[in-house]
Amino acid sequence: MKRNTLVITAVLFILAIFAWAGWANWEYRKQAAERLQASVAQGELTPDPAGGAPQYLSPLQGKPAPEFTLEDLSGKKVSLSDYKGKALLINFWATWCGPCQIETPWLIELRNQYAARGFEIVGISEDDIDRDDAAKLSKEKREIAQFVHKMQVPYPVLIDGDTISKPYGGVDALPSSFFVDRSGTVVSAQMGLTSKDEIERNIKKALGMEK
Amino acid sequence: MSQSSSLRISGSAMHAAGVLALVLSSFLALAQTPSLTARSIFKPAAVEYLYPEQVTLPAGKATKLALHFRIAPGLHINSHAPSEDELIPTTFSIPEDSGASLEGAVYPPGEEFTLPIDPSTKLSVYTGEFTIQASIKATTGDHLVEAKLRYQACDNNACMPPKTITVAIDVVGK
Repeated sequence: MKRNTLVITAVLFILAIFAWAGWANWEYRKQAAERLQASVAQGELTPDPAGGAPQYLSPLQGKPAPEFTLEDLSGKKVSLSDYKGKALLINFWATWCGPCQIETPWLIELRNQYAARGFEIVGISEDDIDRDDAAKLSKEKREIAQFVHKMQVPYPVLIDGDTISKPYGGVDALPSSFFVDRSGTVVSAQMGLTSKDEIERNIKKALGMEK
Repeated sequence: MSQSSSLRISGSAMHAAGVLALVLSSFLALAQTPSLTARSIFKPAAVEYLYPEQVTLPAGKATKLALHFRIAPGLHINSHAPSEDELIPTTFSIPEDSGASLEGAVYPPGEEFTLPIDPSTKLSVYTGEFTIQASIKATTGDHLVEAKLRYQACDNNACMPPKTITVAIDVVGK
């Protein structure tokens, strides 16, 4: 009898340790997953009720655009707050992104069309930047500058976008655009190439010309 | 207490312990589920290494190996010789001090590809499955080589940042 009690106690004790380890492991993983979800805050594609291309629903929609300060190609620091009072399109792109090359001429046309109404674009390059190697950095900046020159981009292009992509949802796909109204609130977002009309609709939303 | 009743108690104790073990194992299995939530945040890799997982080569002699890869449906990656300078080529490499070295690589030619929205721009890409003919030289011994494949994937509307995946091959040099 005594031996049986000992066996049962030992088995229960071992199982209790397993159970505790399982629970602790589950809690740890749950918290890690929640932290990851919160830090990435990714958006999702939702079907367009009108039957068009899927719409990108960003969790930033209706929220203040995350603040950033980055350098432009001349080394000048540019912040989101520099655009206070303007409607702004924050466009994440890269020199290696084919769809971005198609989109950029549309952005230039629309920027020139709506600039007088208080609209501006800021391009944020997602090209890799190596700040530890001066020669590499210079080459990388030159390549971005060549692209900007080739496309005749009239708006500021900032580098090292990867450092601010997390609060913007990770920017897993390029091009990605965020439309910010005059009060600094994100009113719409796009992921991937859509159409010039779609971009214009979102610019009008940022300018308060369309709901 | 007789020996038979002691055995009976012992049997029921084991039975109870078995049931408990089953219940707790289920709990432990359930305890793993949040990791699935964490994984589902990430999209599956655009490119997957298929085979070979293990090769035996004559030590010190460069030997040709066919390395097979698969690209996720709906995606394409630039070939090793993209059509424009700024596009990122697909490149295979073996880090130094791996016990094996890459003596050369022959990449398949890219397929001509145009985005539906811009038929005028012709790209050179890989889709579906592709094979790199790598010439590998190994020293004597068993080496778990963590080779690298760098690529940049897009679909018809968007591109993903360039990525480097590990291509694990157990290389035995004899």
